[in-house]
Amino acid sequence: MKTIEELKEFYNSDLMGDLKVLEEARTKIAKKLILINILCGIGLILPIILFFIIPLLGIILGIGIIVLWIFLAIKASKGYKSDFKSKIIHRIIKFIDKNLEYFPEDKITEVQYMASRLFPRTPDRYNGDDYVRGKIGETEIEFSEIHSEYKTESKNGTQWHTIFKGLFFIANFNKKFKSETMVLPDVAQKMFGNLIGNFLQGMNKFRGELIKMDDPEFEKLFVVYGKDQIEARYILTPSLMKRITEFQKKSKKSIYLSFINNKIYVAISYYKNLFEPKIFSTLINFDLIKEYYEDMSLAIGIVEELNLNTRIWG
Amino acid sequence: MIFIIIIAGAILFFILFIVICVNTLIGKKNQVINIFGSMDAMLKKRYDLIPNLITSVQNYMKYESQLLKEITELRTKALSSNISDEEKVDINNKLTKSLGGIMVAVENYPDLKANQNFLQLQAALNEVEEQIAAARRAYNAAVTDYNNAIEMFPTNIFAGMMGLKRKNVFEISEAERQNINVKDLFNK
Repeated sequence: MKTIEELKEFYNSDLMGDLKVLEEARTKIAKKLILINILCGIGLILPIILFFIIPLLGIILGIGIIVLWIFLAIKASKGYKSDFKSKIIHRIIKFIDKNLEYFPEDKITEVQYMASRLFPRTPDRYNGDDYVRGKIGETEIEFSEIHSEYKTESKNGTQWHTIFKGLFFIANFNKKFKSETMVLPDVAQKMFGNLIGNFLQGMNKFRGELIKMDDPEFEKLFVVYGKDQIEARYILTPSLMKRITEFQKKSKKSIYLSFINNKIYVAISYYKNLFEPKIFSTLINFDLIKEYYEDMSLAIGIVEELNLNTRIWG
Repeated sequence: MIFIIIIAGAILFFILFIVICVNTLIGKKNQVINIFGSMDAMLKKRYDLIPNLITSVQNYMKYESQLLKEITELRTKALSSNISDEEKVDINNKLTKSLGGIMVAVENYPDLKANQNFLQLQAALNEVEEQIAAARRAYNAAVTDYNNAIEMFPTNIFAGMMGLKRKNVFEISEAERQNINVKDLFNK
């Protein structure tokens, strides 16, 4: 895994050329869009006036102009997004590891998402993109952005709620875990303090037995469920727990992990899309790329941590 | 009439309370035994690897014969059937230290480091050490849980009656905590 300094160098030397070209394209598109917005905005005045004279005509013209507006906007920014993905993101992925392959339109399958048992609720809508797969050392990995939602019907209509939105990462191991272990963000301990929090967590038998870990900072932030007390501690060594804790403190994102059969699932949630290039703000921003890189680093770092201890998982 | 119902309810509640407390204590006591059992199984895996290790290295490691002898003796002691749990733990801590010493000394034998057989053994031993470490932590967690139940209200009321005593967690004694001194190894 490369360091941030190496990333910065790559960013400044290799990536900057493409970024500048795309940035030019972006400013052109931004200007075009502003023009379209102004023209169509003004154009809507006519249908509004007409609405008071001949309502039907007003409505039809209004809808027509809105459709035209959307059509023009999409046409203007077409190609920009896919250009960004194929040039910039593709190259970042290759920089991280030459063996990784990038498929902008693909995603982790819903079957695998459910197999992680991190989010037991079946989603009514399941989307994702920016799929990557390959090998880190001896371990096969794959990940993508995922957005899963459920809906509720009320008299106001259908409402959509997010179950999970963020980076979903899977790594294959060569041997099977004896049982399931899960690490989830700790809500109860935060709300109710240790004694009651622990009691409530113990009640949640659905997820298996509560396993109390010996790193107090980790325990405050996460709750561990599993069926085998020893195997859970075998996986969650003091150094792995530290790594996860540090990441959570720095990124302030919710992290979910599970270890089932022969796979490790890591889900890191956040509210925005990782790779959607913005139109109205500059592309030349190292922080955007750094943030993505750090999320990837956690996921790959976990794999490396479990590899480097020369475990043969006997 | 209502009076009788209230009394009956109170008695029922009281019985339920006693049952829950006693069962909690028993559950935690058994969890400690359970985990010690698992740890024992992992320690046994380690005993099984040792003879193989000794034969692999003793032709190479001419200077460590004393250390190898120690390991063999510790293993024999650990396998004997009439030692207490605490002695077992003590012997195994010593074994961990001695095995660590061998692994450090191996750095000086490039032939040995290239030997396939030895490398496999080393990987297997590492694996077992990790599992033993995990088991030790699990045991400490179970014992802490059990000790808490014995000493905290309201389960402490029953702990005395059931004759349950505090157990000790695994500690590594100060002497063993010190890092292995490689020069000492060579002077053996």
